[in-house]
Amino acid sequence: MKSVNKLTRQIGAIAAAVMLVAASGGAMAASPRAAENKVVLIARQDPGTLDYVTSGLTALRLWIPANVVEPLVYFNKDGSVEPGVAESWTISDDKLTYEFKIRKATFSDGTPVTVEDVIYSLNTMKASPVVNNSSAYNAVTAIEKVDDSTVKVTLSQPSQNFWHGMGSVAGLIQPEHAAASIATNPIGTGPYVLKAYTTNSTFEFEANPSYWGTKPAITAATVRIVTDGTAGLNALEAGEVDAVPVITIDLWEQLTKRELDKKFTLLTYPQIGEPTYAVFNQKLDPELRQALAETLDRQSFNDAFGAAWGAENTCTFALPNQPWYSPESAESCPYPYNYESAMAKASKWASTPLEYASLSDVPDLSLPADIMIPAMQGAGFNVTRNAIDLARYSQLIFQGRPPQFDITVMSGDAEPTQWACPTADKAGWSTYCSQPYTDALAAADAAPSDEAYLAKMKEAADILRKDAVIVPLIAKKGVGLFDPALKGFLEPRVLVAIEIGKLHW
Amino acid sequence: MAIYVLRKLAFFVGAVFVASLAIFLLIRAAGGNVAAIVLGKDATAEAINALAHTYGLDKPLPVQYFDWLFGMLQGQLGQSFRTKEFVADLVTDRLSISIPLALSGLILGLIIAIPVGTYAARNVGKPSGAVLALLSQIGIAVPVFWAGILLSVLFGVRLGWLPTGGWIDWSESPIGAIRSLVLPVLSLGLIMGSVLIRYVRSAVLDVMNQDYVRTARAVGMTRTQALLSVGLRNAALPIVTIVGLQIAELIGGTVIIEMVFSLPGLSRMILANVAAREVIVVQSTVMLIIIFVIFVNFVVDLLYGILDPRIRNAA
Repeated sequence: MKSVNKLTRQIGAIAAAVMLVAASGGAMAASPRAAENKVVLIARQDPGTLDYVTSGLTALRLWIPANVVEPLVYFNKDGSVEPGVAESWTISDDKLTYEFKIRKATFSDGTPVTVEDVIYSLNTMKASPVVNNSSAYNAVTAIEKVDDSTVKVTLSQPSQNFWHGMGSVAGLIQPEHAAASIATNPIGTGPYVLKAYTTNSTFEFEANPSYWGTKPAITAATVRIVTDGTAGLNALEAGEVDAVPVITIDLWEQLTKRELDKKFTLLTYPQIGEPTYAVFNQKLDPELRQALAETLDRQSFNDAFGAAWGAENTCTFALPNQPWYSPESAESCPYPYNYESAMAKASKWASTPLEYASLSDVPDLSLPADIMIPAMQGAGFNVTRNAIDLARYSQLIFQGRPPQFDITVMSGDAEPTQWACPTADKAGWSTYCSQPYTDALAAADAAPSDEAYLAKMKEAADILRKDAVIVPLIAKKGVGLFDPALKGFLEPRVLVAIEIGKLHW
Repeated sequence: MAIYVLRKLAFFVGAVFVASLAIFLLIRAAGGNVAAIVLGKDATAEAINALAHTYGLDKPLPVQYFDWLFGMLQGQLGQSFRTKEFVADLVTDRLSISIPLALSGLILGLIIAIPVGTYAARNVGKPSGAVLALLSQIGIAVPVFWAGILLSVLFGVRLGWLPTGGWIDWSESPIGAIRSLVLPVLSLGLIMGSVLIRYVRSAVLDVMNQDYVRTARAVGMTRTQALLSVGLRNAALPIVTIVGLQIAELIGGTVIIEMVFSLPGLSRMILANVAAREVIVVQSTVMLIIIFVIFVNFVVDLLYGILDPRIRNAA
């Protein structure tokens, strides 16, 4: 009995000591990977496939473009254009002919980059089932070999989308002979080679010894796929990883509560941001859509995510890095939050059943639904919720013709051309089709100057606002946490790609 | 005994066949299409149909079912539509994580439950017995993910003794792999132990009140001697049943733990592929688990026969 009591006291003393040490925290030690020029990053999602031709998943586009596979050119934040796989280019005065001179380089498997590979890559993207890839080629009539190092692309009309596409995923260059293994082992000219990809586990990158450009400071990078956001932040705080470059909005409140924004370098950047927007089925009466828009208190959505520094209220379908963007204002919001007005109008529609399709397995989107639905119901609209998972949502909403919803909320890339519809049957997933909007976008694409392009894009944005079908709520910025000693982060240039090659200790 | 085994075997085969049909139909009843998920929200119907055609998803359902079933019978579990990886390879890789995790969690649970449950039974009505019963209840009530996160924060973030998550493969570093499993096993084992304590306590209590234990005491054995020599074998029967059920739940049911600790295990793989509607991967993997579970129950039934001659003779 005495020995049991003694043992009990010893166990208690040890437990108390552990708790004291645990509670004391401690200063952050330097990353053990700094000395080896290695880095470990966190990714929240697993793409399941690395085939960027047939898949538009963000989880894939974060890591493969710009690191493993490169585009023809790079568009910098300041508007300048930098050589990529193309070391130089000429654009005809009428902007109908582009000639790209392909640099002498090798792919990471040692094979030389040939004009045939470039032509294959561009044609593959032209035929890509992913609209964001193929739409860059809408005006392209021919892709031809001029000589062993030059490719000529001919357009039927000037196209800003084509030119910018050559600096995006649509312009990624791969070797034709390795195309069959793209889903598991994409090959490119980038600063890194994908050494291994284990689904739901890791990407392993190693510096490409045959890279044509400046050798990256980081010689090896591991991207750990950690789907649980809290676990990812725990790993960062424990020093097991060096950065979480993309922190989704459901974790923003934790950043401040755990004071992670003080312990680590917090970066916000719009490129990886997303607008969160309500979608009202276009078949609904325009007055009904406008009344529903008046129930949307944008500040309440912002407050719900608890991090005002990361999101801005807006009525414009765009992100702050896009020049036609406007924050919420009297001028830019034709149907501002006005609950009394919405309630007065709701009585006219009280007997109209409205189905709200809600994505149940995406926290970013179920949270807005939790706010939006009670607000609409409280105003007197007859709204019922249908919570479904992504696969079912994809079937009913994205692919459904007509789409099976009256109201939904979505978050995604801010590409305005996704709402264009040259013909009604080409309308996107929301089946929103507006000829004036489509015409404005087409005019923007064919604009001869940047000023003309911007004017037309602003016109298009205004049409979208007034139609009250796509109703933006907030523009979320991309947010990342980095070890304070890890420098060099560059805002994404190739769509949302995190460029590991720019990082250094 | 031979007839007993044969009957169980026939049941085993029938159950597997019915399960295969159920799995096939259920995953399709959920709706959705892997081609649509791959191509994204802006894909046209034509593009989705074309991709679905390359995946063979436009074939009639009976054709798809029998193609898959006959493939499985020949040992071909199929491939992922998106990556073309073989399901056999995917499962094998993940079993190297899930099996040690599940078995270690179960063993830890038993190591906790058997002595604690027995002590609690022997001390029923006393304060020590009541405290253990209460602790067991608390353990059952604590969600496993919460326990996991707490352990991760304490031992990973605050103390830095163990990794907060992630996986180091056995081939890369056996020590690293073991370290990766410590906290997940602890989370699983503590919760499982709490559940098993109740069953062990109940089984031992039941046995202690039996005539044969009283007789053993009457001929001079101590309570412990009586329990160990004649009681435990009888107490083992319900415990074997529960352990069999727990094994079934563990393999494929550790998804929460795998997510909290970022382990690329079998459960997480199944969940990800259900979300992506990779029907072949899900069907084949779940079938393997079902076959395993039915096999475990088959072994449990055989063990009954070994432990209790009355069951064997009645069969």
